Formats: sequence, C-alpha cells, structure tokens
Amino acid sequence: MQRYILGRLALAVPTLFGITVLIFLAMRVLPGDPVAMIASEGQGTYTLTQEELAAARHSLGLDRPLYMQYLSWMSDVAHGDLGRSFWRGDPIRDLIARRGPITAQIALMAVAVSWLIGIPVGMFSAMWRRSLADYVTRFVVTVFMAVPSFWIGLVIVLVGVLWFTWRPPISIIYLWENPSGNLQMTIGPAVAMGAGLGAVTARITRSSVLEVLGEDYVRTARAKGLRNRLIIGRHVLKNALLPIITYSGLALGGLLGGSVAVERAFSVPGLGMALVQALNERDWMMIQNLVLLYGVIFTIINLVVDVSYGIFDPRVRYQ
Amino acid sequence: MQVRRFNSSRRSFLKLSALGAASAMLAACAAPAPTPTPVPKPTEPPKPQPAVAPTSAPAPTAAAAPAATAAPTAAAAKPTEAAKPTEAAKPAPTAASKPAPEGVMRPPEPNPKRGGTLRGAWGITTSSYDIHQGGSSNVLCHLYNNLVVLNLGDGIKTIVPDLARKWTVSEDGKTYTFDLREGVKYHDGTPFSSADVLASFQRIISPPSGIVSVNKDLFSVVDKIDAPDAKTFRFILKEPRVYFLELLADPAHVIYSKKHLDANGGDLRKVITPGTGPFMFKDYKEAEKWTFVKNPSYWDPELPYLDSLVLVHAAAWTDRGTAILTDQADMTWNCSIETWQEGQKRSDTIATNRLYNYGGYAILINTKKKPFDDPRVRRAINLAVSRQDLIKAFQTQEWINTTRWVPHGDRYALSTEEILKLPGYRADKKDDIAAAKKLLADAGYPDGFKGVDFLCASVAAHAEIMAPAFQEQLKRTLGIETKIRVQERALLVQEQQKGNFDMVLDTPGHLLSDIAPLASVYFKTGGSRNYGQFSNAEFDKTLAAVDSETDPAKRAPMIRKLEDILDNEPPWYPVGYTFHLPMWRKTAKGMGLELRQRAQWGRLDTAWIDK
Repeated sequence: MQRYILGRLALAVPTLFGITVLIFLAMRVLPGDPVAMIASEGQGTYTLTQEELAAARHSLGLDRPLYMQYLSWMSDVAHGDLGRSFWRGDPIRDLIARRGPITAQIALMAVAVSWLIGIPVGMFSAMWRRSLADYVTRFVVTVFMAVPSFWIGLVIVLVGVLWFTWRPPISIIYLWENPSGNLQMTIGPAVAMGAGLGAVTARITRSSVLEVLGEDYVRTARAKGLRNRLIIGRHVLKNALLPIITYSGLALGGLLGGSVAVERAFSVPGLGMALVQALNERDWMMIQNLVLLYGVIFTIINLVVDVSYGIFDPRVRYQ
Repeated sequence: MQVRRFNSSRRSFLKLSALGAASAMLAACAAPAPTPTPVPKPTEPPKPQPAVAPTSAPAPTAAAAPAATAAPTAAAAKPTEAAKPTEAAKPAPTAASKPAPEGVMRPPEPNPKRGGTLRGAWGITTSSYDIHQGGSSNVLCHLYNNLVVLNLGDGIKTIVPDLARKWTVSEDGKTYTFDLREGVKYHDGTPFSSADVLASFQRIISPPSGIVSVNKDLFSVVDKIDAPDAKTFRFILKEPRVYFLELLADPAHVIYSKKHLDANGGDLRKVITPGTGPFMFKDYKEAEKWTFVKNPSYWDPELPYLDSLVLVHAAAWTDRGTAILTDQADMTWNCSIETWQEGQKRSDTIATNRLYNYGGYAILINTKKKPFDDPRVRRAINLAVSRQDLIKAFQTQEWINTTRWVPHGDRYALSTEEILKLPGYRADKKDDIAAAKKLLADAGYPDGFKGVDFLCASVAAHAEIMAPAFQEQLKRTLGIETKIRVQERALLVQEQQKGNFDMVLDTPGHLLSDIAPLASVYFKTGGSRNYGQFSNAEFDKTLAAVDSETDPAKRAPMIRKLEDILDNEPPWYPVGYTFHLPMWRKTAKGMGLELRQRAQWGRLDTAWIDK
C-alpha cells in the first residue's frame, strides 16, 4: 500500500508540472493581460498609449522572457509562497488560507447532503423497481438533476429575504468563531449543491444496487433465509458503494475548487469567486496558483478515492 | 491497482458519471432565470430642486447641481460671480455639540450620535490601492482628503473646503489659489503641506514613466501648478473651466503624502498609504470586507461620528439590496430594481432614492467604415430604433432614462417631456421610421444592408438582452442585418481602440455631468475615447467655445447646437443615461442620501448611526 501511494504521488509530479506549464502558457496566449484591466472601461477617461501600456507592463515584470516569469513563479511555489496578486501585491497564500476552509466546508457538507438524500432514495427506488413509487422517485430525481444548483440557491435566498427577512451572511464566519452564523452561511450553498449531487447519487445508487441485487451471493443470502435488512445493509449496500464513492470523490474535487454559480447566488466569498475576480482582473499570478491548487486537490482526492476502494471492497488489492 | 470483478459496474458508473457531468455542465451554462418581480415603467425623474447658484458671499460653491430645466435660468451663476473669491462654507444646520469651524461639512440632521459602525455594501474590490492609477476611489477615499469636497450636508449640491481652508479664483477664471489648512497630519503623524498637493497633482497631470494616471486628460487644461509657500497651492489654467472645482472634488483626486510617494518610488499600487482622512485603515479581506476606524486626530475634531466604517463586498446589485433588507448592511449606493422596490414597501425601516447617474448605454458607430461614414445612415438608425422599446427590454436589469446627449440632471439637459417630442426620441415611430427609410434610400441603401459587425461585452445583460433587442429593431425597421460578436469586457476597449467594429454596445460615462469634458473625450476629433473616429469641424469649434465659456446664458445655446449636430450626424445611438438606486436603513443618517439628486459614490465623513 505504501509503495502504491508513493508511486501515485510520484506520478502526480509530472501531472502537476504539466498543469503549471499549460495554465502559464494559456494565460500568455489568451488575449489581454493585467494591464488590460486598467485600460478597460470604467477606469477613468484616459486611454493609455502603447508606450504607457508598455511602461506599465515593465513595472509589473510582464515584459521579461516567458521562461524567467515561469521560473520566478515556480521558485515562489517551491518556497511555499504562492506569490502575490499582480496589482495589489496581496499574498495569494493568505487568500487561499482564508477562503479555503469555507469552500472546503461547503463542499464536504454538500457531499454529505448528497449522500443523505441520494443513497436512501436510490436504494428505495431500486428495491421497489418498476413500481409507481420508483417512477415518481425517478421523475423527481431527474428534475433535480436538471435544475441548476444556483437556481435552487436563488430560491433559498429569495424565500429567506421576502418571507423571513433573512439571508445568509455575506461575510466569512468560521465554524470555530460562531457555529450558528457559520451554519447560516454554509447550509444554503450545501443544500443547493447537495440537491443536484444527491440526484446523481440516487441514480448511481439505484443502478449499482440493482446490479448487486442480481448477484449470486445476494440470491444465496435470500435462499438461506437472511432478513432483507441484513442483506441490504451487509451485502448489497457495501458492494454498491464503489461507484458512489468514485462519483462523490470527483464531485468533491470540483466543489473544493469552488462552485462559482452557487457562491455567487449566496454571495459566499469562496475560492470560486476569487477565481472569477482574478479572471476579470487578468491577475495571472492568482489564476495560476488557484489552478495549481485545484490540480493538487484533484490529484489527492483521486488518490484517496482509489485507496478507499480497498477499504470498502476487500477484493481490491494494491500492487 | 488491481480490481477484480469490477468491470461491469465501473462501465455503468462511467456512463452515469458522464451523464452527471454533462448535466452539471448544462446547468452551469444556463442563463440566469429572469426575475419575476414586475418593475416599474421608467418615468420622468423626480423634479429636482433649482440649481444652487454660487454667490459672491462666503458660502459653499455650487457644484453642477442637477436641474432638469430646458435651459439655464436666471438663477444660474454669472461669470463675474464665479470669478470672485469663494471662501469657507457656512456650516449646514446642525445641532452638533461643538460649534463648527469654518468651511466644514456637517450632517443634515440635528444632534448626531457618536459611536457605532456603518456597514456599506457594494463591490469593494480594487485593482490596486492607488486611486490615481485606477484604484477604487469609492472604497479608498475614506482614508484621504481632497482640496475641496462635495458637501454631504446638503446632498452634495455645493462644494466646500476640505484640505483647502478657502480658495480664490482670479477675475479671468484661470488661476485657482488654495489656502491650505494648518495643523493637518497624516495618519502616521506626518504633517501635511503644499508639497503634498504639488506631488499629488504632478503625478495626476504628468505621471512619470510606469505610472498610469487614469484621469490625466481631464487636467489637460492645466498650464501650471505651483506651491508658493507651505500653505498655498495654485492651479493656473490655459482657459477657464466652469467645472474645475467640481473636478477637484471628485473622490478620485485625493491628496497623497509626498513622503509616502517618494518612499514608494511614486507607485502606490501595492501600498495602502496613510492619508489625512476621517478614517484610518485597519483591515482588508480581499473581496470580502474593508474595515476602517475613526481617525482620533482628524483635523475636524467634530468628525467622524462613527467609530468604524465597514464595507462588505456585494458585487451583485441584488445582494446589495438583500443585505440592506435583512440588516446585514446599512447602506448601498446602488441596488437592483426589485430589491429597491421591496425596500420602498418597507418604508418603516428602509429609505430609498433615485439618482441621476452620468453613465449610460450607447451603441458606438464606426464612422470611418462604410456605410456608416455616411451621416444619413447613422441618422436613420437613430430615428428608426425605438429607445422606449430598448429601455423596456432592459428594465429588469437597469433603469435607463430617456435622455439626449447631455447627461440627465445637468443644468443644461432638456427635460424628459421636451426630449420625448423630438424626432428619434418620441415614442410614436411612424414618422421617424418613414424618415429613416428615406434617408437610407438617399444614401443608396433602400433595402438596408447586411454583414454589420456588432461588438458587445460578454456581460449577460448586454449580450443577451440589449444587443439582440437592438439587432432585431434594426432588421425589422430598416433591413440592416448585424452579426453580434461577443468580446470579454476587459478586452472590449482594445477592440475599440483598434477600430475593429462597425458598431459596439458600450457603457460610456463621465465623472461630471457637463457636456464639455464628456464630449472632449467621446466626440471631439481625436478624443481619447472617440473610438468611432467621429469628426466634425463645426462641432469641435463649438465645443471649444463651450468649454472655455463661463457664462451659462452663452453656454446654453451653444450646448443646444452641440446636441443638434450630434442628432444630425450621430456618432452613437445613445440609448440613455441610467439611474442609480441607493437604499439605506433609516438608522443610517448623516449622508444626505435623501437630499441628493445625482449619484456619487464618495465620502461618508458625516455619517452617523441612530441606534
């Protein structure tokens, strides 16, 4: 197992290197740079000359050769300092440290909500297959799969404001600072995202459970008179979990990167909103570091998901 | 890793995962649902009060106060009066515990209370911390002072001294001499002097290499600046400008310390440098919250009343409104129409106002490209496309007024009633469309034309509402077919600068309502934002005359002439200027928001909390 994990981590190095090169080049190839921000509308009445733009680029170090800019960034990353935003000079590390926990909490809560909704619904649907209840459940699940999570978020906010004069806090409140305020801030986005994820989880659970229900060992268990609850709990559910874990892991990776639409709906200052702001400002350093962070998150989560297979399914062996 | 007996379930899992991912992507790409709340039909703006005329007595100098009059009235300023010395302002009515020293702001309400925190909510991000270089003045201005400032006590209708104790204007209107306050200190204890004013305006007017002065053009009329002694500062202009003081009062023109400028190589983009303002910087959480605290050594010992000022990030208009409605913020400069209406229903706790904004929507036309080089084609478009329909289509997004070229609220702007009688602006399009078709036929395009490159920003409301609505009207009324090309907003200007467009939907605006500086930027031959390369010698000549004229009675007909030229040979299709919709809790006082007629996202020195 240790060798397997180390091997996977070693494989992650070229993956992450590739990500850094791709995002670095993508930022330089795409039209516009941080100076475009200052030259764009709403920033005064004066339009910069090419000389002034060049001087501004020089002052930001954007006229250095690409390899020097890349090495400078990698040097920052190697020293654990993720650099600073181009214009303001704010440390990016601080921004990630401040917003990361809220985004992570919402992501974990959303996955928890999706399991709480999706697994029971999926199992119910599978066990009463082709019944009226199954059709109704599948219809509802399809609806929730189709409804965008940000729309659910908007409904939550609107109902809160219009009926209860309440809306989730718009400034960060950490769980350890004020649990009640923190829950008010995070429960809405978690439910909005968890509902959609839960619908997908329910579909996966249903098909997975149906597949397991057809296995010989389930038939054997029934034949020997084992109670249905035991069959489901001990044999079916455990064996049906693998695809659910894989899906949830991938979804968690995406959510940890921040869900822009839902963060926007609830005004949650998470990592997704930070990325959008950085894109608007063409703050390359911020974009590069956030994308690198997402790469690291996905790599680690994929590894954790793979390792968890062995825990949930003893048939899985690592070599 | 080796997995046994897992093949079939992995396949099904992958199928389901792909389905889920596709659903998620579709959901993410979906357009936001339109808000179902009905919005009011844009109507005539509230009748503003008469423009405050500058007087020769020591009193606040009138800013370009909003006035919806057809032409300047007798109450307007006379040039001789403008040339007379204007001294310290008389304090606004207040029952403040201490008598106000000369030339300072006081809140409009009596007996302001001390203490507490005011929570503002709007988009508080900033590209840098240097206001002169485009940093967000509506956030950072609270740390600094200007030479003069718009008076919060009367709803920003007059200009009162700030770091200048008083000022005089020479008879010819070209020399502004400022007598600076003594004993003023920066937040770090550095004493303030005229050297700071000199250094600040030197970098605004003639920025060194690598420094980007975003309002440099506005000061091109300045011939010379100097500081004869530590307490005196002078601007010497090439020509008089009626709006020069108002320009100095804009929150973008704060005074920085020379010491701090020198210490940072003249570049403050990455430094929140101490100011002389009523609030001191305490903390900033990126795109989340600014915290400012009271400056205990402020040069006006009465101010500020607040212990702290917290600005929370609410980029979306709806979030700003809901933050006020749910008591998560005390005030916002502008919120969404539906939350503003909800605030109006809750008048026991919430107050609202509707203010003239000097920005709006327009379709800029490239006058150097065929067939738009023919003024008849541009005139036809202006006649045929219904502004009322565009405004209606956009009413869920932003409140646009029916306006002409002069921004609404300006003393020289025509009233909405008068504008609605004009060809091209009136609601009944029958005659206008007939005239437009004739113009187009005369220009050689009786059946319209195709292949027009219509550029717009990748803002949903622009690309999905305004641009298609304009496109449809052009095709339906004149047979002109356009192809909408969506460009990222930050890159739109670059495309415009290169002239890579036939038409472009833009949101032009200006700090000031006066048509002269606005037209110098957008319509004058070679103007810095004249992207459509409009050029008209008569217009330029008249504009130059308007800009240097100080007599309102003489300016008025010249401004009408400018508008007539623009109507006849339009460089744009102006949709209209917008309203800003401020909303605040009634416990937030001292800002004069209810007295205002125009929008300005600026200082909050006199704010107080009634709790």
